[in-house]
Amino acid sequence: MNKEISCTKLVQEKLDLLKSNTHNTVNSLLEDTALDLAKKVDEKIKKGQEIGLLEGIPFGIKDVYMLQETYTTASSDLLKNYKSAYTATAIQKLLDAGAIPLVKENCDSFGHGSSSENTIFGAVKNAVNSDLVGGGSSGGSAVNVAKNYTIFSIGGDTGGSIRQPAGYNNVFGFKPTYGRISRFGLMAYASSTDCVGPIAKSTEDIRIVLNAMSGKDVKDQTTYPSEIISKESILNVDTIKTVGYFKNFIESDAISSEIKESFLATIDKIKAKGIEVKILDFFESDTLVSTYYTLAMAETASNLSRLDGTNYGNRIEGENLKDTYSITRSENFSEESKRRIVGGNQLLSQGFSDEIYLKGLNLRDQIANNFEKDFKEVDIILSPVTPNTPPKIGESLKNPLAMYLSDAYTVGFSLGQLPTLTIPKGTATGLQITGAKTQDELVLKFANFLNDTL
Amino acid sequence: MSKMMTVDILSSIKGAKESETVNQLFKVIINADTNSNAANNVVNAVSIDDLREDIVINSSKREKEIIIENFPKEKNGYLVVAKVIEE
Repeated sequence: MNKEISCTKLVQEKLDLLKSNTHNTVNSLLEDTALDLAKKVDEKIKKGQEIGLLEGIPFGIKDVYMLQETYTTASSDLLKNYKSAYTATAIQKLLDAGAIPLVKENCDSFGHGSSSENTIFGAVKNAVNSDLVGGGSSGGSAVNVAKNYTIFSIGGDTGGSIRQPAGYNNVFGFKPTYGRISRFGLMAYASSTDCVGPIAKSTEDIRIVLNAMSGKDVKDQTTYPSEIISKESILNVDTIKTVGYFKNFIESDAISSEIKESFLATIDKIKAKGIEVKILDFFESDTLVSTYYTLAMAETASNLSRLDGTNYGNRIEGENLKDTYSITRSENFSEESKRRIVGGNQLLSQGFSDEIYLKGLNLRDQIANNFEKDFKEVDIILSPVTPNTPPKIGESLKNPLAMYLSDAYTVGFSLGQLPTLTIPKGTATGLQITGAKTQDELVLKFANFLNDTL
Repeated sequence: MSKMMTVDILSSIKGAKESETVNQLFKVIINADTNSNAANNVVNAVSIDDLREDIVINSSKREKEIIIENFPKEKNGYLVVAKVIEE
């Protein structure tokens, strides 16, 4: 940190910006605790004590993470007064490193959406053009970073919820390999693809925050131990010889000509640097989207079944217990959340589960096998983040199928549990860089290279 | 019990109905080709050699207090719920 500005002043400046912002990015401000923490950092600096890389750095948290004593609403009516009893592992690691949480950030309710319009706090407005959506579901987090209201923010990515809003707001957003960062304390949407990840303005910031949050956690048994990624290790791109891209993503009727042309121009620039580029076959977009939504709906129906107003949440009393459950859930879930819960219960029910759910699992295995085969031929897969530029606020709510299909380029990598980074270059909504499982370092390495090349 | 349960009962959501949009997604899955040779690549199961210790860890006093603060209806520190046995 630059000693010319005190931590307290920096934090106060950011809090003022968040307070006065008109992009609907804030669900709640953590003003008092942030200023207390900032004072402690200033005292350490005054005493000449050493401070860490993240010490005193103000950050934002998508409002689906537990942080003890703060409201964690998931942008929903059901949990609008719910207070976190404990702190998520990933957030605790950032607190331990000295970072200062400023804000719980607006998002699609329970992560259900791709535009951050499905929220009780008002639609998040895009950082570049406020008539457009902020993207989702981590829309508030991406806009806060883009507008410099936070230095970095922690989003959550189940099917693209970090990468797509990062692309829509011209910032970096990273979904690490599934299991690299603990999900303990993240409100579960679809547990088999839920990932914690940073949104920031540079690959260096992404690296630092990723390192701080990574590691095995006994509270999330899907986590795995990982090595620290050093600054030096991601500077040398010599190990990347071959890059691939999916033919059907680019030859699709759904992609805008602007994004297609800029993506192909990027491919030419990569070839000009002596890297071999291979064209790969992949599943059709409608298969990817349908497989992802089928499995995600099944998992969210199960995960959200606990939200019945019994132990916590906005209970609405009915005539008896069952009536209380159903009134509470009918009145407090949004239309989009209800659509996903009902869809999930429908596909898991007798007569449907073999035909839809088990078949969806089989398709997921095929998709994962395809990736495994591809990564024997290429080091990195490059793709656009979205087929089109962000829609106007209001459009996605009118056409949910179009919203689901807009996730065509992000959901496949979620199903494969692969590390994927959005870099705000190469197309109007950025590029996705994907590596094989646990190759997060390689992804950051290629991102540095692209950042210098484009 | 052979009674067919409807989606509103399964979901505990009053008046819930199937969505045409969601059914369109399901149709794609129903019509897709499955491959019996697809190896199971997505494994989230935990190895039995890697289970955490089977011990009870007590929550902190503050954590317990917040859990009680979150009760929708509370009486003398206890959670109030509707009568459970009713049918």
